[in-house]
Parts: sequence; structure tokens; C-alpha cells
Amino acid sequence: MAHAVVTAALLIGAIGLSACTNANRFGSGSDPYGAGASGAVTPGSASDPTSPAYFQAAVGDRVLFPVDQSSLTAAAQSTLDGQAAWMASNTAYNATIEGHADEQGTREYNLALGARRANAVQEYLISRGVAGTRLKTVSYGKERPIEICSEEACYAQNRRAVTVLQAGLGS
Amino acid sequence: MNTGVKISGAAHAGLILWMLFGGFLSFDRREPMEFTEVTLISGEQLAAMQAAGSAAPDTPETPAVPDAPSEPESAPETPAPEVQPEEVVAPEEVVPEAPEVAPEVAETLEVPQADVTAVAPPAPTAPEAPDGAAVVLAPEAAPAPRSAPRIAPEPSAPPEPDAAIADEVQEARRPDEGTEAAEPEEPREATAPEAAVTAIQPDATPDAGGAVAALAPTGSPRPASRPRQPAPPAPAAEPVQDDPPDTASQQAPADVAEDAIAAAVAEAVAESAGGADTSQAERGTGSAPTGPPMTAGEKDALRIGVQKCWNIGSLSSEAQRVTVTVFVRMNQDATPDTASIRMIEFEGGTEAAANRAYEAARRAIIRCGSGGYDLPAEKFAQWQEIEMIFNPEQMRVR
Amino acid sequence: MMIASHRIRTAPRPHRGGDQALRRHEVQPRQKGAKPMFLRAISFVFACVIALHTAPGESVAQDGPLRIEITEGVIEPLPFALPAFLPENAAATQLAADISNVIAADLEGTGLFRQIPAQAHIGSVTSFDAPIAYADWKAINAQALITGAVSVDGSGRATVKFRLYDVFSGRELGEGLRLGGATNSWRRLAHKVADQVYSRITGEGGYFDSRVVFVAESGPKNAREKRLAVMDYDGANVQYLTDSSSIVLAPRFSPTGDRVLYTSYATGQPEIYVMRVGNVRQQALTDGEGAMTFAPRFGPDGETVVYSRTTGGNTDIFAKRIGGAPVQLTNTPSIETAPSYSPDGKQIVFESDRSGTQQLYIMSAAGGEARRISFGPGRYGTPVWSPRGDLIAFTKQNQGRFHIGVMRTDGSEERLLTASFLDEGPTWAPNGRVIMFTRESAGAGGQPALYTVDVSGRNLRRLPTPSAASDPAWSPLLP
Repeated sequence: MAHAVVTAALLIGAIGLSACTNANRFGSGSDPYGAGASGAVTPGSASDPTSPAYFQAAVGDRVLFPVDQSSLTAAAQSTLDGQAAWMASNTAYNATIEGHADEQGTREYNLALGARRANAVQEYLISRGVAGTRLKTVSYGKERPIEICSEEACYAQNRRAVTVLQAGLGS
Repeated sequence: MNTGVKISGAAHAGLILWMLFGGFLSFDRREPMEFTEVTLISGEQLAAMQAAGSAAPDTPETPAVPDAPSEPESAPETPAPEVQPEEVVAPEEVVPEAPEVAPEVAETLEVPQADVTAVAPPAPTAPEAPDGAAVVLAPEAAPAPRSAPRIAPEPSAPPEPDAAIADEVQEARRPDEGTEAAEPEEPREATAPEAAVTAIQPDATPDAGGAVAALAPTGSPRPASRPRQPAPPAPAAEPVQDDPPDTASQQAPADVAEDAIAAAVAEAVAESAGGADTSQAERGTGSAPTGPPMTAGEKDALRIGVQKCWNIGSLSSEAQRVTVTVFVRMNQDATPDTASIRMIEFEGGTEAAANRAYEAARRAIIRCGSGGYDLPAEKFAQWQEIEMIFNPEQMRVR
Repeated sequence: MMIASHRIRTAPRPHRGGDQALRRHEVQPRQKGAKPMFLRAISFVFACVIALHTAPGESVAQDGPLRIEITEGVIEPLPFALPAFLPENAAATQLAADISNVIAADLEGTGLFRQIPAQAHIGSVTSFDAPIAYADWKAINAQALITGAVSVDGSGRATVKFRLYDVFSGRELGEGLRLGGATNSWRRLAHKVADQVYSRITGEGGYFDSRVVFVAESGPKNAREKRLAVMDYDGANVQYLTDSSSIVLAPRFSPTGDRVLYTSYATGQPEIYVMRVGNVRQQALTDGEGAMTFAPRFGPDGETVVYSRTTGGNTDIFAKRIGGAPVQLTNTPSIETAPSYSPDGKQIVFESDRSGTQQLYIMSAAGGEARRISFGPGRYGTPVWSPRGDLIAFTKQNQGRFHIGVMRTDGSEERLLTASFLDEGPTWAPNGRVIMFTRESAGAGGQPALYTVDVSGRNLRRLPTPSAASDPAWSPLLP
């Protein structure tokens, strides 16, 4: 998956910074990056394979979990393989893995469960070659759902671990 | 009776068997206990319970009941969740910055504790002593204005069908007939329950008895046991009781014929003479009550008469676990001699808890008995003294 | 606390005529206090036997007093009358009315008392020291009567006097009391009076003069803003302790009510802080531990804090003295969280999913072996030891519903008190009689609110709060 080409894209890293401070990053709504559109590849847009937007949309920045589970499904592993590869190529980025739970649980337990999920992702990424120093985890428990209905359709989206990129110091 | 014994025997045997085998077999300590899903009682239900229970004793209260409970109930339902949080954000304004808050909080936390002193005792005595006085001749001018309003509520009361009402109604009514009648019981309160000094109530009771009979709020049973009522005017009742050894059955009627006042006096004497006297008399033969025993139905009537007023709802959970045995001496008109009520023993809790439990039991005896219990007059000797065991075990949170 | 099952004689039996009869009764089995279900059932059977036995009672022809056993009373609110407290001077007019209202609201709010509206009164109290016309109050079935008077002196200091009467017994319950305080703390004065009345009648301490720390919430579900706030137990006097710049969770009062522990995302990840309520000064408790920490609770000494710490995705329980070094109390690959000390500080109840699902366990305060106490169906979490020490409140999830429940410390006598889409996080009133918790409604517009319920399962009520609210923690009774 790794394309040598991508290295050049480091330049664009700065743009991705905005992702870190975006207050709405928990939202699943509109893509905050892909605004511009001209030419073939707009730097920073989802069509730019070196952009966080691309990571988010094409690679997939999140994996979902079954109820009360922190084990990775096959689909999740495949997504994480993509994340690992992307990070291997885009070494200017570090990541914080946010673990979340649906609202069907007590607050404390969900915090711990979210931490387990984040950790499961972290460990998997490390096992796929991402340096542990580039990864941090945090759990939000059930504090930050992205879908707000009280049905399984929403819960399924909320039981997640999201890999949020940050521009590192060029490790 | 033979059949009764047989049936009873069979029932006992069955129960014991079931307990020994069925019981042990089916109760496994660690078995996943099944719990009734939630024991929520909504305000409505509570209201319903109240209605069913001691049923609105008096008109004035009724309105209150539905109101209060219904509110909390609806509240939960209307969590006003739709309110856009955004709008709620308003608090911002109201919200003082944290720092500002600080001083306020600190202040609040200390202030009041300041002085919590017992008010000068003079007052406490005042109310009580004068009370006694009040009884006899309605002290202050107050009574006058009071009686007036009382009359108003009355008309509405009589119609009430429930038994519990008896007490109140009666209270209300008495004043009409003579203030003294109503209060006599109170003064005795002043004297510790232990002291069996006053014996005034007998005077009052005859009246009460009559009134009650008239109101007969309680179910049907009452008439049956009431025949004695006309009798109360009979004298010398007490003396008889003192030496109950005599054939009680025959005496009962005699008593009835006696003059109540004489009875009162006699009782007073007996009581003040000290327990020794009485107990001796009792002990003498232990046969005082040899007359016709109380039937199961008669005992049940009494039990039911008391339990209607036995409210443990306002007791601590510990006090709700205490079984108290309460002694009460009855007047001939089947009202309890308030001053004679005392706790004989308790079980299952601390003394403090037991005292609260006792107070609730005491309230029950007095409240439901103020109109006279449904007891057979001719068996007075049998129920002249009663030990009531208030055992809440089966009432605990179910 | 188990109550010894012995009988205590409080007064000599007035009559000794029936020793036989007495003995017979003393043989009756009487089991009291905690006991396993089967024992309870058996004792019920006994009760039936007794009932049968005494009912036909002819053969029992009494030698002594007639004995009857009363087992079926009623459980309903006790009606009380509270004629508006008398203002003793003009300055106290409004205050007297306000204080009366708060006292009545406190008592009624318990579900154990019911106020008889003033319109129904046929008597009145014209002077605090005047004798009581009991008949007037009996006539309206007022079983308790509360009278009082309020005065305000020139310096703005308020004084409240009150007396409590047992109407049907025609006597005063306890002594009259006088309380004083600044006028602006009048609510506390009222709460203190209500506490007195409550405890004199029920036999247990009150809980009205107390506060609640909680999380005030606003904003949509997926971007909720949370702030710490405190208020009186009844929802009055809400004050905010933090702004909404970072998520804050699960505040807990210290045993003296002067400090609050809570979890904040101020640094980006959950960490525990201690705040002094008086000056809102906060201090990080677990900085330097380099890990996510949460679910803190004070020990009864007010200096030790037990909490959860997560490292490498694994959550265990730690304890530390404020400013001291952390001590690890559990060490398993499972989730151990929501620890709560027993009132004597010797044990800790917590939740763990070591068995595969969340269940409750108790271990020594020093850690080590834990014994499981929850065995019913479903999952159990957020255990909280009652201030009386005899019960543990918890959140239970079963078949898609949430419940607040209580069980004894050995896991017996589990009772569920509530049920809803989402109930969680119980906290005990200082007297151990009432439980407050968070109830969240379902759906996109779902909001949390605070509710209280009596430990008997009765009297569920929603607490009024200015905004959505969650994670309540009850303070001790204020001094």
C-alpha cells in the first residue's frame, strides 16, 4: 500500500492540524476538510491520499465493536491494517485513539470499556509496525456518542475506537 | 368446636409438613432469587392505598391526598426533556463565576448551626398543665370560637361510611354535648403512661359510647356487641372487677347495670391502689375471666379495629422491624384507658427504635379506640386488659 | 447491622395471672433481622400457624390479659398539621411563611408524612406558648402537630422556635427547640426544624439540611456541556463550581462535606481532582501517575481516596492519601472500578467483570481476596455502601432495563427499587433512608435528571434542577 510518492505530502501536514482542534470532531456530519475542489488532487482533501481527510474517509478512522466487547472483528482488523499502512507512510503524524461506548452501560464501566477498546486498537497498530511512541489512547466512555438515537443502529456506531491524527514533530 | 379443633389440627399438620419438606426443598439459599420487578409505588397508587386503607377519615383531608401524590407522579413523566438544552444554557447568567460562588457557599455552610438550644422548658409544661385545665373548663376564651367552626365540618362527617371516621366524628360531636366529655382523656396524657392516676375518662366515656353507637361507622358487627351500651349507667362495676374471681359471666350483666361513674371511681381506686392490688386479685384465681371466652370472630373484630390505625409508614426501617407488645386496660365502653397504655416488651431492635414503634402502636390504639372497640359488653372481664403484640414482620417491604 | 433477636422487657407485666400462657407465647418462634429467604418464608409459615392457632382461641381461655397479635397494619403517610409559624415581629412575617412552607415540603417530600391543608384546620394556634387544643387537631385526624414562631432581630438574625405534638397521645414529642441563624440562611433553619421533626417521629436521623453535588448538563447529546454544581438537597440554591470548558464527571463529597472529588478532562484525559467547595480551589489528585484515573471516592477519614486507574487498557483499583503515593489494591486483567468504602473504612465494595460480566465484590480496604456478593441475573455496577453500613445500593442492568437496587452486604435480600430506560449512579442520603440517582430518558432528545426514591421503593420523585443533571452525590448532614 505504501507509495513512495506520499512522502512529499508531508507538506500538507499542517493542514491536518485543524483536525485536532475541531470541536466537532466527534460529529459524523459533513466532511470538514473537503471544501475546496479543483484540479485532480486538492491537497488536504479526501482525494489527497496523504491527508487526514483521506485517512478518515478512505482508510477509515474508526472501528466498531460488538456489545460489551473490545476484541477486534475481522472488519476492524482490516481497517486497522489500512491505518497502520497509512501511518507507516505518513510518519509526520501521531495519533490519539479514542475509545467510546454506547449509552447502555454505567458511566464508570463505560470509561473502562472505552479504554479497553482504545487499547485494543493501539496494540493492533503496534503489532502492525506503528511505533508505540506515536500512539496515545483516551477513553470517553459514553460521554461522546456520534449518533444520538437510543436504538441499536446508533449504538453500533457509538461502540467505536477512533484514530485521530495529529501532526507530530516529524518523528 | 370439635370440628373446629379438628380442622385446626389438620391445618396445623399440613402447614408443618409443608414447612418441613416443601419448604426446605424449595428454598435454596443460593438459588437465583427472583425479585419482583421493581416495587415502585406511584403517587396514584399511594393515594389509592390510602383511600382503601383508613379511607379518608374526614372530608377536609380528602382533597389533600389526591393533590400531593399526583404531583410527584406527573413530574417524572414530564421531564421536559424536549427543552432544547441550548435554551437551558441560560443558567450562565444566573451562574455566578465559580470564585464568586465560593464565599456564598462558605457562608451558608456555617451560619445556622450557630445555636440550637432547647427552648426554655417553662413553655413545654405550660401546654400540658393547662391542658388538663382546658379539658375541664376549656381555658382561654379559645374554646368558644373553636366550637363554632367544629360544627361546620360535622354535617359532612356523619355520611362517611368508613369505620376509621368514628374517632374524629365523635370528637367533633362531643363538644356539642359537653366539652368536658371530649377532653378527659387528654389530661391523663400529662401523667406518664406509667402512672395510672387519673380515672376521669369513665365519665366521658358513657357519652362517647352513646355517640359512637349512633354513628356506628364501623361495619355491621358493632350492633351485636353493643347491647351493653344502654347499660353503662350501671354502678359498682369496678368493685366487681376487683374481685373478678366470682363468676364473671353472671356478673357481666350485673356490671352493665351498674353506674358508670361508680365504676370509674372504683377503677381509679383500684389503679391508684397499685398494680399489686390488681395483680393479686388477678392471681387470686387467675380465673377472673371465666365467663364465656372471646370467640375468634370477636378477637378478629378487635384485631381489625386496631390494625386499621396501625400505621408504620412513618417509622424508620429499623423501627419497622421491631415487634412491640403493648398493654392496655380498657374502659367498659370499650375505649382504651389511655393512661394505662405501656410497652411491656419489644424485640428486634434498639430501644430507641422500639420507642418509636411503641408510639405508633399507641397512636393506633388510641385513635381507633376513641369511639370504642367492637367488643362484647358481657365479656368485659375477658377484655378488660389486653396485650397487643404489634408484629410488623409481614408488613416489611414486600 | 443485624439486630439481635432477643426480647427486651420494658416493664413488668401488670398481671401475672397467666404464667402458663406467657410461657406458651414465649415459645413462639420469632426471627428478626436479616435472614436468608428460606428462613423468612418459614417464619411466614409460622406466622400463619400462629394466626390459626390464636384465632380459634377458645381453649386459650385467658388467665391473664387477652392477647392479640396484630400483623397487618397500614403503611401510609402520617397526617400532620403545620399551622403557619407565627411571626413574632413584623420583620419576620414573610420569613415565617417561607419557613413553614419549606418545613412542610421537606416532610411531605419524604412520602412518610402528609400535610393537612390549612383550609381543613378547625383550630388555630394563636400563641406559641398557648396550650394545645388537642381535640381540634384530633378532629381533623392530625396525628402530629407542629407549631412554631419566627423572629428577626435588628441585625438580620433570625430565630425559629418550634414544638412537636403527638396529638392522639395528647403530649409533646421531645422538647421545644430554638434555632438561630442569618436571615439569608433561613432555608437551613427550616431544614433543621424538619430534620428534628422527622427524627422524633421516625426514630432515625433526618437528611434535609444537606447538599448535593452533581453535574449540570446542557447542549445536545453528542456535544454535551457539563459543569459541576452544588445545591440544597431539595434543589434550591444551585451554584456552579466549574465552567463547561471540559467534561467533568461523578463528583463525590468528602465525609465532612467541605471538599469534592471529581473527574475532569481538563488535561485531555480523565483525571481526578479535589476541590474545596468553600473557595472552589482545585488540586490534581493523580497528576504524575501518567494514566487515566476516575471513579474516586473518599474514605471515611476524609484523607484517603480510592479510585480507578487505567493503564494499558486495564483498569484496577488504587488508593492513596491526598498527596501520597498510590497503592494498588487489585491486580487483574479485568475491569475493576466504582469502589466505595464501608462506613468503618475497613472494606471496599466495587464492581468487576472478572467473571465475564459486571458483578459486585467486597474486599479488604488493603486489597487482596475479594468475595462476590451479586448473583442475580444481569449486570451489577456502581455499588455504594450505605452510611448505616447495612446495605449496598447499586445499578443493575437486566434485559435492556436499568434498575437502582439495594442488597445486604452479604448479597442477600436484593431488592430493585426502580426501573427505566437508564437509571444509574445511586447515592445515599445521610441517614441511609433515601437514594438519589440519575435517570436518563431515551432518544435523541434524551436528558438526564435527578430522582430520589425511598429505600423501600416508594416515593419516587424527580428533583427540580434548572437544567439537565446527572451524577448526584449527597453530602453528609451539615453541622
